[in-house]
Amino acid sequence: MFDLIGNLAHGFSIALSLQNIALCFAGVMIGTLIGVLPGVGPIATIAMLLPLTFKLDPTGALIMLAGIYYGAQYGGSTTAILVNIPGEATSVVTTLDGHQMAKQGRAGIALGVAALGSFFAGTVATLVIAALGVPLTKVALLFGPAEYFALMVAGLAFAVVLARGSLLKATGMILAGLLLATIGTDLETGEERMTLGFSTLSDGLDFAVLAMGLFGFAEILRNIENPEARDVTRGKIGRLLPNMDDIKRCIAPVLRGTAIGGALGILPGNGAVLGPFASYTVEKKLAKDPSRFGRGAIEGVAGPESANNAGAQTSFIPLLTLGIPPNAVMALMVGAMTIHGIIPGPLVMSKSPDLFWGMIASMWVGNFLLLVINLPLIGLWVRLLKVPYRLMFPAIMVFCCIGIYSINNSPQDVLFTAFFGFAGYVLYKFGFEPAPLLLGYVLGRLMEEKLRQAMILARGDFMTFVYNPIAAGMLAVAVIVVVIAVLPSVSKSRDQVFTE
Amino acid sequence: MTQETKRFIRAPQDMAAGLFLIGLGAFALWQNAGLERGTLRVFGPGMMPTILAWACVVAGFAVGIGAMLWNGPKLERWTFRGPLFILGSAVAFGLTVRPLGMAVAAPLAVLLSSMASSETKLGEAAIFAIVITVFCLGLFRFMLNLPIPVAPWAIGY
Repeated sequence: MFDLIGNLAHGFSIALSLQNIALCFAGVMIGTLIGVLPGVGPIATIAMLLPLTFKLDPTGALIMLAGIYYGAQYGGSTTAILVNIPGEATSVVTTLDGHQMAKQGRAGIALGVAALGSFFAGTVATLVIAALGVPLTKVALLFGPAEYFALMVAGLAFAVVLARGSLLKATGMILAGLLLATIGTDLETGEERMTLGFSTLSDGLDFAVLAMGLFGFAEILRNIENPEARDVTRGKIGRLLPNMDDIKRCIAPVLRGTAIGGALGILPGNGAVLGPFASYTVEKKLAKDPSRFGRGAIEGVAGPESANNAGAQTSFIPLLTLGIPPNAVMALMVGAMTIHGIIPGPLVMSKSPDLFWGMIASMWVGNFLLLVINLPLIGLWVRLLKVPYRLMFPAIMVFCCIGIYSINNSPQDVLFTAFFGFAGYVLYKFGFEPAPLLLGYVLGRLMEEKLRQAMILARGDFMTFVYNPIAAGMLAVAVIVVVIAVLPSVSKSRDQVFTE
Repeated sequence: MTQETKRFIRAPQDMAAGLFLIGLGAFALWQNAGLERGTLRVFGPGMMPTILAWACVVAGFAVGIGAMLWNGPKLERWTFRGPLFILGSAVAFGLTVRPLGMAVAAPLAVLLSSMASSETKLGEAAIFAIVITVFCLGLFRFMLNLPIPVAPWAIGY
């Protein structure tokens, strides 16, 4: 307990330095600015803005990136409420009641509740990360290659189950991602694999290139193809602060949303995605009058938004303690850390405590800044949303190109991104979800490494995964999760959750 | 029974998806054919890619067989204007940014990508291209000092 306070105090002493507050503020602002553009989610935003942080010291860079992440999340919720376009999967639920509230002239309250709920969730999540950081790191240090491999398999099993649409297709995407991860020089023998003669591929495919192509470019292609009627709320935003009645209605949903989102966010395999859906379903089940949902129920904004933010933050836990990124955003964080020479994993906390605790404390600072500075600026974001898409997407394209070029100063990377943009378009046409592919790619290299080590240790005996209790347990969880998802009754309700 | 349910391929989109996975796996198998597989005890460089490629092929077959058993969505219509100009603009940027600099590559990318939408007005796009270029030069090159060529043919950097 005293450790926790001491560590947090240490973190705040770093996060509250003038430079780091400024970086956090800049990150939150720029993140919101880009994230509020319809169709630009946190992944594309971070990939685009990664080069902004190259010149900073590692702690500052990660604080700024984390700020960009929250800003982009917040921007996504704003577009969900005001324009009915979710910036990313996790704010889909917010469109249901949030946009209805906006239509009824209560946009300000929806935004205010979302921000207040997120702030509360963020505060709790920061404490959870700080509390779990030390014990989980100790556990992680006990993990051998077999345990790591099994944990990642379990993560991928979750990702398959949590993906939208067909389980088989999601499995196919994971496999494709794992396959793409083997591109490049083999770590042990130094032989080149599947580089097709491109020298830039011998280091493997850059994750930012893949993510920007599959998410950024492909998203623009989809938007141009289906020019959806963007009905930016014409009415007034109204007041931002909810009244006593609103607050009373929201307290319980915010508490439940925080608990649900925070718990799911810790799961490897992008559990955070499920948080808002789960929270919405719970609130609807518990409501006295479920028919209000979908017609502007404030609980339908407060719960999911809190779950969203709590999950967004607790998904840092697997990255910071185990070194396993649970989703694409965290994989970009790995990229950023590696650029600064930090290898994410259990050693970060003991080797660079300033970075570890500074970043955790800055999460709270970032959430606070979002609340007190961004919310009043809502008028600015609304004006930005009224820019027609025909002007917006060329600007997004140029920013993306400059961002990708700057990561490695490589024009070839821009061409590869264009290629993956096309691949993303093809996948979309074939009804594939790109998210599992990215996760497979993210974990692929580490999984191969750990599997090879485990096999060497076990002298080629696959039974090592059965004899090792922790690994066996995790593999069993993976199997159970998939089996449950295939059961007819569950798969039906799973369809319902995703279509709702 | 109606004609609809008698079709051999009941879910054309899934069939295409299955074939895509099979193709991807087959391509990877071909590329990795020359690599040492090694043994379970000591993996060679080709072991993982080969296993994964076969898994892709199997998943592809499973998706394809599913497409013959259950009804599913049709293939969506493809458009060419969007991909051509959007991806073309990125390619143009990649090809011109080194030799000609951002002063050429950025407006070129804006103009080309603008062509992707039928709502674009040419005059507006031209003005916007200039505005965006000035903004990007100011932000990325002069404020953030990123080493992007500006206009090597005119000012030497």
